[in-house]
Amino acid sequence: MLRASRSFPYKLLLPAIVVMLAVVLFPLSYNFWLAFRNMSLYHFRNHQFVGLENFRLILAEPVFYQMLGKSLIWTSVNIIGHVTIGVLLAVLLNGPVKGKTFFRTILILPWAMPQYISALTWRGMFNYEYGAVNLILKQWLHLPPVPWLSDPFWAFVAPIITNLWLGFPFMMVVALGGLTSIPGELYEAADLDGASSWQKFREITVPSLMPVLIPAILLGTIWTFNNTLVVWLVSNGGQPADSTHILVTYIYKVAFTYSRYSYAAAFSVVVFILLLGFVIQVMRQTAAQEKSA
Amino acid sequence: MTSRSLARLVVVTLSALLLLTGCAGKKESAGPKKIVIWMQMDPEERTRFTKNVAAYEKAHPGVTIESVPYDTENLRQQYQTAAGGGAGPQIIFGPSDQVGPLSQLELIKPLDAALPKGFFDRFVPQSLDTLNGHLWAAPDQVGNHLMLVYNKKLVPVPPRTAAEFLATAKTLTHDGSYGFAMNVSEPYWLAPFLTGFGGWVMDDKSIPTLDTQPMRDALAYLADLKNAQGIMPKESDYQIAETLFKEGKAAMIINGPWSWSSYRKAGIDLGVAPIWALPNGNPGRPMTASKGYSINVNVKDAEMATVTDVISYLTSAEAELLDAVSLGVLPSDKRAWMDASIQNDPILKASQAGFDGGKRMPVVPEMRVIWDTMRPGLQKVMNGSQKPADAAKEMQAAAVQQIAGMKH
Repeated sequence: MLRASRSFPYKLLLPAIVVMLAVVLFPLSYNFWLAFRNMSLYHFRNHQFVGLENFRLILAEPVFYQMLGKSLIWTSVNIIGHVTIGVLLAVLLNGPVKGKTFFRTILILPWAMPQYISALTWRGMFNYEYGAVNLILKQWLHLPPVPWLSDPFWAFVAPIITNLWLGFPFMMVVALGGLTSIPGELYEAADLDGASSWQKFREITVPSLMPVLIPAILLGTIWTFNNTLVVWLVSNGGQPADSTHILVTYIYKVAFTYSRYSYAAAFSVVVFILLLGFVIQVMRQTAAQEKSA
Repeated sequence: MTSRSLARLVVVTLSALLLLTGCAGKKESAGPKKIVIWMQMDPEERTRFTKNVAAYEKAHPGVTIESVPYDTENLRQQYQTAAGGGAGPQIIFGPSDQVGPLSQLELIKPLDAALPKGFFDRFVPQSLDTLNGHLWAAPDQVGNHLMLVYNKKLVPVPPRTAAEFLATAKTLTHDGSYGFAMNVSEPYWLAPFLTGFGGWVMDDKSIPTLDTQPMRDALAYLADLKNAQGIMPKESDYQIAETLFKEGKAAMIINGPWSWSSYRKAGIDLGVAPIWALPNGNPGRPMTASKGYSINVNVKDAEMATVTDVISYLTSAEAELLDAVSLGVLPSDKRAWMDASIQNDPILKASQAGFDGGKRMPVVPEMRVIWDTMRPGLQKVMNGSQKPADAAKEMQAAAVQQIAGMKH
């Protein structure tokens, strides 16, 4: 009887476990397996084990380091932007603002839209002659128009702006949740001690938000690092001249345009290891911080 | 007892999953026959396809045809994944160059062996592509050739020489209107100029030939039109060119047969002419290609009769002539090609002339890589950040390297 009831939770979990094995563990292991073979257009059915050859190729080519640099810039600019804008707006919304619900709804909207629609709309808005962004720059701000989609530098800035717009609502919602859980007494006590707003923000708000923000930043980093859609759609597949790729969009291109499946699989293993290392590092640090606190 | 029931549960769940995944490939055995076609078609083309499918289904009550539209890139990618995994649709329809990678990957059947003897006799020879000694697609149209498309209200007589073209375009460029617009970010649009200056994308061993004088000339000529002559919008891609033309704000553009019917629908007094003679005196020579139906390598023998019959019908003279004039596409069937409705239509007649002056696009897998490696250089030259000579050198090096990587 006891044994039966012990196995009961596993029975309930079983369908989920089977599905997880099928859709997560199997593809992941298959990807690892593929990374050590030479599956490509010319070896699609008759691929063989080639050991570390794909990894050697990847690490020997300068393209890997360029893409890695781009990915790091892409991720850090986006995450810093998301957190700064998100926390700022959350603090404002948490204060005495009229029409709070209205503003909150408006500010969450970018999150509610399907990502690819936002990305394609932004691509349209970045057009040199007819796009909204340049029209505003020209007619209202009297600034020279920016070649958003044809200059390699600006073509990388354009997806970053798009993703900043897409990503801040998530951080804002997380920070808002965190803010409401900070006890009001802390601020009252600080007021009695004569603390300034900045001091209150630095000494109370920021430390109290950290426990909710750190997992969100961790998630956000992984999502952003692996975000194929925004870069791909805003830059129309890496245009101009494949200069806007980050690691993951490059992998997509190599796999599905050139059919270099094993090479792309090895590339994704490298990205996986990079992200795993990052996550372990962050978790260690936060654990250390929690201990010392 | 409990471990046994747990084991039973595992077996049941796994077999349910297997059953679910297995279902996809087993539909043919029971009940009415269902043929699935994945295709890349423009909206107008799809309308005609739907009509033809309806006619076929009416004549064959036991057969249903389900079609799933994709864009070119997605079609190939999705099909590669599905067919590589032993599933996918029975039929795939798309541009002829997709047979390069798909035949190399052994995902489509060689049709000269799979279809009845003499099946291809009724097709115009220019519509068929042989690769590795086999035919891989049954075309329902020929063409895909770029031509000079002009607004007759603004350009009564199409320019025939480079000087005439430039003069016409200059007089028509004013206050937000342009004399000329063109998709300068896609190498397919560079090809007529490359060929016109005497070059080609590869030699007969499929080795890229991009770092050549004709390539430098073609890039320099287009860069001059776009950046120095002031006759084109600053960012000129497919969408921009098409929108401007439909709004009457671009007098001339370069585009293929798939687009023409939508311009007429937009109320443009449409004219189509071969691309003007370039400064060296030779006309721009577009690439030509067909679009057609290929058969999934996973199709079982029992299904082949129905699949063959469906393809036969969709490529028949009757099906190809339906809406052919309003669509503006040239048929691949000999009888349809000679039909009075095709021969007497001014647009289709001009189109035939453009097609005859074109050069067949290679369907080998290397072509994909060549397109992709031409694109960056073309875009850099067009935005003024690279010299034609450097771009040509980079294209060639990248193409050679990528082809080596692909064969690795």
